[in-house]
Amino acid sequence: MRTLKAAAAVLATTLLLAACGSGGSGGASSSAAAGADAEIVIGSTNEPTGLVRNVGGSSGVSQTMTRNVFEGLTSVDVDGLVVPTLAKDWDVSEDGLVYTFHLQPGVHFHDGSDLTAQDVVWSISQTIAPESKSARKNDLSVISSITAPDDATVQLDLSRRSQSLPFYLASVTIVQDGDTELSSENGTGPYRFVEWTQGDHLTIERNDDYWGTPAKNSGVTFRFFKDTTALNNALLTGDLDLVIAEDSPDQLVQFEGNDAFTITEGTSTTKQIWAFNDRVAPFDDVRVRQALYKAIDREKVLDAVWDGYGQVIGSMVPPTDPWFVDQADVHAYDPQAAKDLLAQAGVSDLTIAVDYVAGDPSETIAQLLQADLQAVGVTLTLNPVDDATWYQKIYTDHDFQTTLMGHVNPRDVVWYANPDFYWGYDNKDVQQWVADADQAATTEEQTALLTQVNETIGQEAASAWLYLDPQIRVARAEITGFPVNQVTESFYVADIVREG
Amino acid sequence: MSRYLLTRVGTLLLSLVLASVVVFAVLRFLPGDSAGTSLGVGTTSDQLEQLRADLGTDQPLWTQYGQWVAGLFSGSAGTSFVSRLPVGELIASKLPITLPLSLAAFVVSVLVSVPLGVVAAVRRRGVVGVTVSAVSQLGVAVPVFWVGVILVWIFALEAGVLPPGGFPRQGWEDPAAAVRSLVLPVATVAIAMSSVMVRYVRSATLDVLDQDYVRTARSLGYGRWHALARHGLRNGAVPVVAILGIELATSLLGAVVVENVFALPGLGTLLVSSVEGRDLPVVQALVLGLTALVLVTNFLVDLAQRGIDPRLRAGSALGGAR
Repeated sequence: MRTLKAAAAVLATTLLLAACGSGGSGGASSSAAAGADAEIVIGSTNEPTGLVRNVGGSSGVSQTMTRNVFEGLTSVDVDGLVVPTLAKDWDVSEDGLVYTFHLQPGVHFHDGSDLTAQDVVWSISQTIAPESKSARKNDLSVISSITAPDDATVQLDLSRRSQSLPFYLASVTIVQDGDTELSSENGTGPYRFVEWTQGDHLTIERNDDYWGTPAKNSGVTFRFFKDTTALNNALLTGDLDLVIAEDSPDQLVQFEGNDAFTITEGTSTTKQIWAFNDRVAPFDDVRVRQALYKAIDREKVLDAVWDGYGQVIGSMVPPTDPWFVDQADVHAYDPQAAKDLLAQAGVSDLTIAVDYVAGDPSETIAQLLQADLQAVGVTLTLNPVDDATWYQKIYTDHDFQTTLMGHVNPRDVVWYANPDFYWGYDNKDVQQWVADADQAATTEEQTALLTQVNETIGQEAASAWLYLDPQIRVARAEITGFPVNQVTESFYVADIVREG
Repeated sequence: MSRYLLTRVGTLLLSLVLASVVVFAVLRFLPGDSAGTSLGVGTTSDQLEQLRADLGTDQPLWTQYGQWVAGLFSGSAGTSFVSRLPVGELIASKLPITLPLSLAAFVVSVLVSVPLGVVAAVRRRGVVGVTVSAVSQLGVAVPVFWVGVILVWIFALEAGVLPPGGFPRQGWEDPAAAVRSLVLPVATVAIAMSSVMVRYVRSATLDVLDQDYVRTARSLGYGRWHALARHGLRNGAVPVVAILGIELATSLLGAVVVENVFALPGLGTLLVSSVEGRDLPVVQALVLGLTALVLVTNFLVDLAQRGIDPRLRAGSALGGAR
């Protein structure tokens, strides 16, 4: 009996422990070499879940591998602009339906074989194949055929115009013909993949046969942490050269005013959102959404979470997207106006629930929302859940009233054109404009249409966008050349240098 | 003896089967969808269906359970939903960290707590006895991770003599670095375990000291220590061995907790990230493995106790009461 009790206790403890969650991982010390021989050690809390790329939710692997080990026909640079990569350039037919990509000459895979058009055809075909799990599968469904007229040319035929095609193609990394996502470690980038130890680190080393400008360091190790205290301890003691993202200003105190460290603040594309379930009452009433939005003091929320860093937003569009217009003041904090709007909508004694993934910053935000809403007569009940539950309850089942979530993707305002998305915003004009924007003849036309989308969802308070996360990095003072902004999934490391 | 053994082995196997059912069922009833969690925002419901089919989570539960158990018997714990690595390989790669950590913590805590516990009992009213009791009380009350945080602060951040966390990238190929990185975690687990064990050893020794045979031995002219060594230790060992068994399992659990504090890529960090990602095959294998370890340890402890105490052997002959 004692045996069974002990076993039951272990079972319960492990499950409980697991349910609580909090942890870390690690294991490398920075080498002292400087310049081109330097190995850079980078700390991150965003570990790849697996090495399968081109799959939705694989931001960890994109961060470490995209542009560094694997490259696309195009890339998105640190300013959010599309730049040619494996495609030297491309021609677009008059009607916008045929894209002809001319491949960069002299590109080799890491195993020494040449990049051919057939490799590109294979890689893109895999992404749009029926069994593909790529988050870009839908976006690229406009491609009707992929052919290789010769070894250095790839032709894409589209079923309609797509202004966003070159942007979406940046997410499709090119592997060798026949390689699957699961097995391939063979890319074309400035680094070769060396190893990944799950829960600990991922190492890449400079590819000396790189077709472009070679990396300025000899290699990079990404070390993965769950616990941010452990992460910053490692930076303090010299085990790390750079932390990609600090997640709270509390951690910065120990680096501020210390000459041994550099703190940079850049812009991100991570929008913290209080999303309503627009398909259910009372959130299907635009006045209620506007009222709830006006009831929130976003400056105060941002200040509580980020202590002066970051930026208040009034729509889904970050400043690095081409269709940004500042809408922070459209539904500025105004409790009286909020009360009036609620009265107009005939809503009183409103009690609503907010589901969020437990932990900060959502915990802090939820409590501030609760207080602000109380002031306009709305009761907010807090319902913390875990990550997996969030995906099930909110994302898949749409079983929620309101929720807090951070959305990291650039150019994701187009999700407001999908009435089946979890927030269920359904506006025919917006849907038309988004469709038209992708089929626009020029980027100007596209930008104009998406700006209209941006303004409309902002006006209608499709969701309550709270603020844009700052991108705060801390590096040892001798480390330079890292991108300050984070406007794509990838963290490009080839320009990072350790000064002698 | 053989009938006793048969009964015990039977109980052990039955417990394992029950544990596998419980582990499987509990995880299936946790809210959250493995497929959705691994695909994330931006994928379509068709893609979700596709992934569920790939993972087999669209199958009836009993089919999934059957496949899992069949896999276990053929020596395969399946493939991780998330990293797509074989579960056995994934777990094996973590053992070189978690096993040395928990075993070292166990050994250290035995070496510390047995002598301290005996001394605390024999000198229970002396300064040593009172101090040991008080300190162990404190050690029991303080959470394990907090001890870890304090040790990191003192020895890594302030004194700078030991790393604050992490494990060398080369693993045990660099033994000195590997050992250095385990010193603080081992100390953390050992402090927590010793605090508990010292109290058991102390009370077991006290029980023995009050026994007639010890008093008799002392009245025959043996010194206090001599009487205890001659007649008490074997008797005191029976409850202590039982505790050692449980503590061996505790040391593994303790290791799992402190790995998170010290950023060690062991079973603990694997368990936490696997639960977060609803990587069911990995969680199942880990929890069942830990449970099996406890069951087997207790089985061995029972056998050891019978070896030490002839009365237990006699008892089983009378009807297998134990």
